[in-house]
Amino acid sequence: MTIAAFLLLALVAGLVIYDWATLRGKNRRALVVEIAVFVAGAVFIVFPDRATALAHVVGIGRGVDFLLYPTVIWLVRESLLSRRYRIENAERLTEVVRELAIARASHVK
Amino acid sequence: MPVHNGVEALRATLETLRARSEAITVFLVDDGSEPPIEPKDLPSASDAFRIVLARHVVNLGQGAALETARQLALRDETKYAAYVTMDADGQHRAADALALARAIEEGADVAFGNRFLGDSNVPRARRAVLFLARWFERAITGLRLADAHNGLRAFGRSALERVRIRQNRMAHATEIKLLVRGLRIVEVPVSVRYTKETLARGQRNAGAALILRDLMLQYLFGDSK
Repeated sequence: MTIAAFLLLALVAGLVIYDWATLRGKNRRALVVEIAVFVAGAVFIVFPDRATALAHVVGIGRGVDFLLYPTVIWLVRESLLSRRYRIENAERLTEVVRELAIARASHVK
Repeated sequence: MPVHNGVEALRATLETLRARSEAITVFLVDDGSEPPIEPKDLPSASDAFRIVLARHVVNLGQGAALETARQLALRDETKYAAYVTMDADGQHRAADALALARAIEEGADVAFGNRFLGDSNVPRARRAVLFLARWFERAITGLRLADAHNGLRAFGRSALERVRIRQNRMAHATEIKLLVRGLRIVEVPVSVRYTKETLARGQRNAGAALILRDLMLQYLFGDSK
């Protein structure tokens, strides 16, 4: 195993341990998904040839590209969806605050 | 009139309006001031001068406060001759607000204040930013106006009904221009007084980048209703 692979595995393990600890007492179901994805990632880190073999099957040259392309596509989409949700929530908050302000408005004597 | 903190300047601004002989109703929206603006902080009402005070429980931004004031004004039982927006920080003069209202009474749908035709002391850096803003607004709205992002404006009733502001922060000034295209628009000379206090409390020159960002986000993701 290369130094880079070792460092990446340490990072993955550290993130899982940190998330597990900080989610103590909370719903950890999403963490199971995270761990599953990270374990798959760890396999490709330790055995990069497996990723390359899979990439060749679908016509992509390098294993890292095979993982990177869908990851970037998914992250861009997730980023845009998150932005939309934030803006829609801000619009809802504005409406609530406004209706409250109007309902409580009063004439100054 | 939107306000966020600065109760002393607000009171002084309202006193100048109260001193006028014309009948004026101020729809004052406290945009989450801390401490909240209370009726005791404001001049008392008179026969010709009324204040309707509303409060956003959290700070939303000047555009949101203007929209709340707009909705309050439209729901008021009185149909006013003109609807004027002005800042509460002492930059704007009551006489100019009333000059804008007169332009509406004389037939315009919308009247925008033009600080460059009045006796304004616009700082050089602000002048440069406004020059760029003017060209940007011309490019996206098609309106050839000599000033940009001036908070002194007036609307007739039908124009006000049309101008539903969705931009909570400072991009509302550009949004308003997009919404009034096709109406009878005039520019009226106004005097905007910049002081250390108003510059410290007001919009930063760097805020232009935030305005561009907000306009882009609204275009991409905003409520299309």
